[in-house]
Amino acid sequence: MKVKVLGTGLTKFGEAWDKSLLDLAQQASLEAINDSQLSISQIEAVFVANMIHGKLTGQDHLGALVTSSLGLKCASFRVEAACASGGVAVHLGLQSLLAGTYKNVLVVGIEKMTDAATSKISMSLMGAGSDQERKAGLTFPALYALMAKAHMQKFGTTRNHLAAVAVKNHYHASLNEKAQFPFEVTEDRVLASPIIASPFTLFDASPITDGAAACVLSSETRGAGVFITGSAVASDTVDLSSRKSLTEIAATKQAAKQALAQAGIDLTDIKVAEVHDCFTIAEILAMEDLGFCEKGMGGEFVQKGTTKLGGKLPVNTSGGLKACGHPVAATGVKQIIEVTHQLQKRAGKRQVNGANVGLTHNVGGSGATVVIHILQS
Amino acid sequence: MIGIISYGAYIPYYRIKPSQIAQTWGREVAEIEKSLGVSEKAVASYDEDAITLAIEAGSRALETGQIDPKKIGGITVGSESHPYAVKPSSTTVAEILGMGTDYLAADLEFACKAGTAGIQLLSGLISLGKTQYVLAIGSDVAQSKPSDVLEYTASSAAAAFILGKHATIANILDFTSYSSDTPDFWRKDGEKFPSHAGRFTGAPAYFAHVLGASQALLKKLKMTPADFDFCVFHMPNAKFPKEAAKILGFTFKMLEPGFVVEQIGNPYSASSLIGLAAVLDVAKPNQKIFMCSYGSGAGSDAFVFEVTEQITKYQKRNKDTVAKQIKNKTYIDYSLIAKNILTKYRI
Amino acid sequence: MSSPVQIWRQHKQLNKYLGKEGKLIVWTKIFVAPEGFEHQTPYIVGIVDFGDKRMPLQIVDCEEDNLTINQKVKIVIRKIGKVRAEDVIEYGSKAKPI
Repeated sequence: MKVKVLGTGLTKFGEAWDKSLLDLAQQASLEAINDSQLSISQIEAVFVANMIHGKLTGQDHLGALVTSSLGLKCASFRVEAACASGGVAVHLGLQSLLAGTYKNVLVVGIEKMTDAATSKISMSLMGAGSDQERKAGLTFPALYALMAKAHMQKFGTTRNHLAAVAVKNHYHASLNEKAQFPFEVTEDRVLASPIIASPFTLFDASPITDGAAACVLSSETRGAGVFITGSAVASDTVDLSSRKSLTEIAATKQAAKQALAQAGIDLTDIKVAEVHDCFTIAEILAMEDLGFCEKGMGGEFVQKGTTKLGGKLPVNTSGGLKACGHPVAATGVKQIIEVTHQLQKRAGKRQVNGANVGLTHNVGGSGATVVIHILQS
Repeated sequence: MIGIISYGAYIPYYRIKPSQIAQTWGREVAEIEKSLGVSEKAVASYDEDAITLAIEAGSRALETGQIDPKKIGGITVGSESHPYAVKPSSTTVAEILGMGTDYLAADLEFACKAGTAGIQLLSGLISLGKTQYVLAIGSDVAQSKPSDVLEYTASSAAAAFILGKHATIANILDFTSYSSDTPDFWRKDGEKFPSHAGRFTGAPAYFAHVLGASQALLKKLKMTPADFDFCVFHMPNAKFPKEAAKILGFTFKMLEPGFVVEQIGNPYSASSLIGLAAVLDVAKPNQKIFMCSYGSGAGSDAFVFEVTEQITKYQKRNKDTVAKQIKNKTYIDYSLIAKNILTKYRI
Repeated sequence: MSSPVQIWRQHKQLNKYLGKEGKLIVWTKIFVAPEGFEHQTPYIVGIVDFGDKRMPLQIVDCEEDNLTINQKVKIVIRKIGKVRAEDVIEYGSKAKPI
């Protein structure tokens, strides 16, 4: 398969008090359309990714809402797959191009979280979990904390391994003017911050963020550019307890295998990756489940610096979910944008030299949906 | 003969000492401990209520007695802390215990004797042959106004008794009840906390009814305290039951095995029933038990039980004796009390 | 939280779980709670293995320090979450060390 990423648009991630959901969506969308050099009327369909807006505000029907706010009357859709909404929207947009239904589509992921109280947001995000998980009083930090505990029990992973992920991603974010937290943090600071769900501290968790990320995808594949050559989605049980293992996300393995096969490349061809670090353990699991290192060795893999800018395989040069921010449904699209910019040599101070193949990894819930894209220039 | 087939007791895990409560309100604890005689009381957690306690006690009675819940044709839950003013605790308890749908359920309220009233009423269903088993439960998460003296004794527990006709572990030889309109302790609908009439709760209330019911039953059966091995009285504090036993002629040796108030406080509708359970945990075949409950408002239910041969096997099966549960505890400070107030009053 | 009808349906299943014994395989202590659980913090939630299936359950009547991996626990019935004035009380399964 081959679909071109024609244009990208990204708002700053953070607390955007004076911007509404539509303000953010418009900003990112118009930037992406502008970047694509298409006229707005050439957009034939809009895929809107969003997870919790309906729950927080009572406003649904976001496909039509966003599309018409751009002045368009073309096909519109809203896509939801928890935190994988953005990646899944890209996957579906891509399918519509491959099917020949449309030639140019806009995919925009948006989340406006800061208007609501934290406990309400926490409860809304638990919509990505199961009924029994909600009844047990679980939160997403707690669900991933359970996976971290299991990983620590089985493989001896330590809190320092977890902290290494946060430290690295903050360093990357310090080079990204769109990031929510563009500053470095030390391991001590990470370990000493308040506990939210043992063993996680505040710094093991991605924040609450407003933001929008958009890209224009095209079936026009002539000429140079960045192409999506692999796009795979896999599922697993929503309930963490029902999975076969607490120390791996099987859907990651499944989707990765498919996506690599589609793109006709090996794992070793990947030069840069954006993975789903909603919590520090998630990046460690991703390194293992994607196959970049052995199962159980993810902590060490990150700690020794392989995945830091300058290392053999820079991961999350955007700052990841932890330091760039995590406007839930925007993240998957932002990941596409970061890798696209890397392949276009547009990543400025975060540029990975010679990056020509990249991977994005977007997860929904505690691993119930995983979507992986391969991009090549 | 109608009697007890099995029973279950549940005492919550947490305990608070009077010193923690006194400290909160700036009082001198020594005098309070001396006058009430309670060294610690059981505190239910914020996710427990009279229904969850009743379920726990009921499920223990079913398990130890090896009884099929579907064979229970009547259930009463007696409490002064029913979670709903309108919606019966007994149907939620019955549903979760697996009783099906073919049963009579009724909630009872009679202050601390709502549990024992159920035993008297439900035994009627057995003697009429309406059903094989009935289940009477006394359960309370007792409320008291913060800073009121009741805070030192009002506690939480539940006890469940299954009655039937065959293979009883203790037969009910007889019972009486003594009632009158006496305003010693009350809580009007809509009020958060109960009120009481101070020293009026003594002679004209507790003693008049406990002595009235007990003397009437002893007279009716032509028995004297010397005929008994155990006695259990409602325990609002450590003093009253000791005094009642003394006046009637029972010895402290008979009272002691069921005398739980010093370690768990007063769990209202479960008080005398937990005492009875503690006695049954250690009683031997053919021994006789005298029990008299008391409920403010006011009334007393008096019973005479005779232990059968079946008790020995039953005691071997019983995993959750009262003594074991009294020991299985952890101490808390006033913070759980505060959380419970927030939860219960939906603040 | 849940509607009266959802609670009605769920209560019918509780007898199946009451008293069920399992092993506690992993747990976490939660300090930042979602809506409806704020009055309970900190509380412990774990995954219990019952042999035929595993369930996420709040772990009650214990201290985090006293828990051990594979510890035996049994299901008890407790109130779930916070009840508002007009709600029906929801009861559900939690796990207690035995």
